[in-house]
Amino acid sequence: MKPMIVILKEGTDSSQGKSQVLSNISACQAVAEAIRTTLGPRGMDKLIVDKRGKATISNDGATILKLLEVVHPAARTLVDIAKSQDAEVGDGTTSVVLLAAEILKSTRTFIEDGMHPTIVIRAVRKATALVTEKIREISINIKKDDAKEQKLLLEKCAQTTLNSKLIARQREFFAKMVVDAVLMLDDLLPLNMIGIKKVTGGSLEESRLVAGVAFKKTFSYAGFEMQQKKYSNPKIALLNIELELKAERDNAELRLDNVAEYQKIVDAEWTILYDKLEKLHRAGVNVVLSKLPIGDVATQYFADREMFCAGRVQDDDLKRTQKACGGAIVTTVENLDEKSHQIFGTCDLFEEIQIGSERYNFFTGCPRAKTATMILRGGAEQFIDEVERSLHDAIMIVRRAVKNDAIVAGGGAIEMALSRTLREYSRTVAGKEQMIIAAYAKAFEIIPRQLCENAGFDATNILNKLRQKHAENNIWFGVDITREDVSDNYASAVWEPAIVKINAITAASEAACLILSIDETVKVPKSSSEISNAAKAMNMD
Amino acid sequence: MPSVGTLAFDEFGRPVLILKGQDSKKRLFGIEAHKSHILAGKAVADTLKTSLGPRGMDKCMVSPDGDITITNDGATILSMMHVENEIGKLLVQLSKSQDDEIGDGTTGVVVLAGALLEQAEALLDKGIHPIRIADGYELAAKIALDHLEKISETYPLDLKKLDPLINTAMTTLGSKIVNRCQRQMAEIAVNAILNVADMERRDVNFELIKVQGKVGGRLEDTLLVKGVVVDKTFSHPQMPKQVQNAKIAILTCPFEPPKPKTKHKLDITTVEDYNKLREYEKEKFTEMIKSIKDSGANLVICQWGFDDEANHLLLSHELPAVRWVGGPEIELIAIATGGRIVPRFQELTAEKLGFAGRIRELDFGTTGDHMLCIEECKKSNTCTIFVRGGNKMVVEEAKRALHDALCVVRNLVRDNRIVYGGGACEIACAIEVAKEANKIPTIEQYAIRAFADALESVPLALAENSGFSPIKTVSDIKSQQIAQKNPRLGVDCLNKGINDMKSQSVIETLIGKRQQISLATQLVRMILKIDDIRLPGESED
Repeated sequence: MKPMIVILKEGTDSSQGKSQVLSNISACQAVAEAIRTTLGPRGMDKLIVDKRGKATISNDGATILKLLEVVHPAARTLVDIAKSQDAEVGDGTTSVVLLAAEILKSTRTFIEDGMHPTIVIRAVRKATALVTEKIREISINIKKDDAKEQKLLLEKCAQTTLNSKLIARQREFFAKMVVDAVLMLDDLLPLNMIGIKKVTGGSLEESRLVAGVAFKKTFSYAGFEMQQKKYSNPKIALLNIELELKAERDNAELRLDNVAEYQKIVDAEWTILYDKLEKLHRAGVNVVLSKLPIGDVATQYFADREMFCAGRVQDDDLKRTQKACGGAIVTTVENLDEKSHQIFGTCDLFEEIQIGSERYNFFTGCPRAKTATMILRGGAEQFIDEVERSLHDAIMIVRRAVKNDAIVAGGGAIEMALSRTLREYSRTVAGKEQMIIAAYAKAFEIIPRQLCENAGFDATNILNKLRQKHAENNIWFGVDITREDVSDNYASAVWEPAIVKINAITAASEAACLILSIDETVKVPKSSSEISNAAKAMNMD
Repeated sequence: MPSVGTLAFDEFGRPVLILKGQDSKKRLFGIEAHKSHILAGKAVADTLKTSLGPRGMDKCMVSPDGDITITNDGATILSMMHVENEIGKLLVQLSKSQDDEIGDGTTGVVVLAGALLEQAEALLDKGIHPIRIADGYELAAKIALDHLEKISETYPLDLKKLDPLINTAMTTLGSKIVNRCQRQMAEIAVNAILNVADMERRDVNFELIKVQGKVGGRLEDTLLVKGVVVDKTFSHPQMPKQVQNAKIAILTCPFEPPKPKTKHKLDITTVEDYNKLREYEKEKFTEMIKSIKDSGANLVICQWGFDDEANHLLLSHELPAVRWVGGPEIELIAIATGGRIVPRFQELTAEKLGFAGRIRELDFGTTGDHMLCIEECKKSNTCTIFVRGGNKMVVEEAKRALHDALCVVRNLVRDNRIVYGGGACEIACAIEVAKEANKIPTIEQYAIRAFADALESVPLALAENSGFSPIKTVSDIKSQQIAQKNPRLGVDCLNKGINDMKSQSVIETLIGKRQQISLATQLVRMILKIDDIRLPGESED
């Protein structure tokens, strides 16, 4: 009799073989199922309440998946591709997950029939390369030379993204806002230079774009109300100094042996502060912003001298102010005088304005306005949160479209075109790969199919119409949600940047390949955190 | 195919865990989710329905600590109800954002949203896609808003003729507990706003209006003080109770020898040193008093306290003083009296003193409570509304009512277009929307018609609360409005015998109404768009 050899820790869950691949596929499909209905202009939202009772209402695939707390190791792959799609292009997070799940689903039968996963993987990789090539080939370039036309095109792209969101009705309004904001930025299009501020109350249409910076009134001390709240062409000092009466050195202790010294020390402390304040005043500064607190003494000092101050300004707000108004964030006020102009920023108008129940500081008409601020209004907090997420998607899309100027038609049109190309190609391939590529081609149809299903249309009927149109070489025909029919989506301006699609398809295919290539999961019983186990399991291939 | 939220099984029938804690998570999906949202929304709206209008009733809320609040302000009721349901919470925020932005109409907005949800339920039963319902609602809201603009009237904003403003404030106060002295309260609100309004920017800074309450007296004793009321007394009982032509030193430094902020220690080794310290302190005190005397001040207001020694010194130098005055109050006093806040005795000069014509201590009944009233200030653009009432609940409710009235007047200052209340403008819009509905060729037509019905819920509730037969009253008014082409006919809640709201001067601001309609519509869209809710396991019951 052989003695039993224990290799793995007791309780370790290990499953392997074909059944493991199949079970992973089912898990992925279950995840895709969760966000299936969010796709497209008739897509629905999900309300997810987390353990702490915070509710999120969202239509964004990545956001939903993040909140679902998926623990299944294979299914987490899908969450990761949604996240990476979000980080890379910002939009198309739902489609990427759907596509990956559908590819898995269509290859499932081959695995069940005993085909080796590596053959499937090879075929999928081949098809992916073909598809990305095809997108590059048929995509249409935006003409960049005509600024007006480019803007129009960008707005169309933004509108397509916003179509499926909560603010679909206001998409023209917001698309314009997003494009204006992005075009204000410099060539690098840094995302953090678009500030998004949320104020509850007011209706969506009261949202506005500020060509410059706006931020909420910071905590203020007595004396603040006496300051002037409006300046034209102010001199703005951006500081990283605490303007407060305080112990200059922490943990320092003074030992005094005589009363007279006492007063001197008090005076010294005051002088340190007053010196700083006076230097600012003498340099002719009107508006003082600091990352660190500005205390009551300083507030009153400034109020006395017709200056405005705000302490504890958020770091990114301060940076954006600097970008907009010029100047530099300084950590000392030594050596400041009237000549040191380059240190101070300026703008046409500084003003404090009441928005809803909040007060905001506005810096407008900035000389180097490479930054923009959006102030969003809306009825409820979750509402604005979702608007912010939607706008984030739109901003990302517009940024992408500015950088990579190729676009394709959305609404399932590009997917149908790709599906057709692949199907035709598959017929020229000999061997097992033919079937797999044909199945892969069919997987693309999930996007128009789901669009129809979410809108309550007869998906089979619409898809048949689409296939017929595409067979006649009308490559831009897609689903028309408003008319419950098919239409030329390029003509009706449902546009998406090609890069979004390329990225989505590559990511989805790779995720599918990854999942197919796993044949064993070893799950160590709860000892360390679950997530690291899942990660380990995923890297086992 | 297994869906997330239920357990998935692999080939061997073993359950596969996809989401963290998925067996305990609660999930509602599809039409069930819609139904549960609508139910929750309706429940919240129904609670508020009876509070609408001049004959609306109040709610009594008991907090966990046993504090009682009696109010009919929608936003207050909802925020104190601690709604648990997620959809309910959205409605709470809806009324809060109406409160933040407009300040009035917080009940109406929730009632409208509730009615829209109720109508949506019927439409869902018909099998209309939720997003199409939402689309229809938004179309209808647009029609309603356009019509609202058409029937609005520009109101003369004449600073000499305050009657129109007072009438509007009275409409708001009509539904509140204070309607016993409606006119007086309205006048107070109008005067207060006009006192601080910046007519050039058409802006009103609410921080300059303070609403103070004190239990005791009658509501009729409520008064507007053009100046500041502070809940403090003179620091010494022997100080005079009234100061004429006061020159005020506003100090933010304590009446004690200054201390350095750095940690310090004074070593005293001999009696001599000790005496020196005493001398020093005494000297400091006299120095302080002297600097105040020198500046010409005859009243001291101090943010911090001072001990008995200082108190005595002040008394003997005939300097009435007030101690422990809070930061915001100090600020208000400084603004009102035109003085400067002085952080150090050394900086005290004659120019920095504030001036008030009269400062007196108010006594209340037998309670021995005192308050300081600073009047006839140099710059009288701050004011305090001093609310009296029989008990705490009444005072609190009166404060809330005044807040609403202040907001309404402010809105008129911002935008002086008005519509007529009493449900008149809702009925007018309902007629218009119903008319337009027939011109819409798509399914949205149904939703638009439903929107018209929902608009009527406000006059219906008004009529019901006033004890009329709601359907009969509203249909009467509707037919009259159409026959006479007069959009000013509304529900005659107060039984005055006429239902022309113009002659009854029941007036509401256009922006308030606009806001109600657009906020409610947008929020309902958000609710309708959700088809999937996930709740963590804990809150299952």
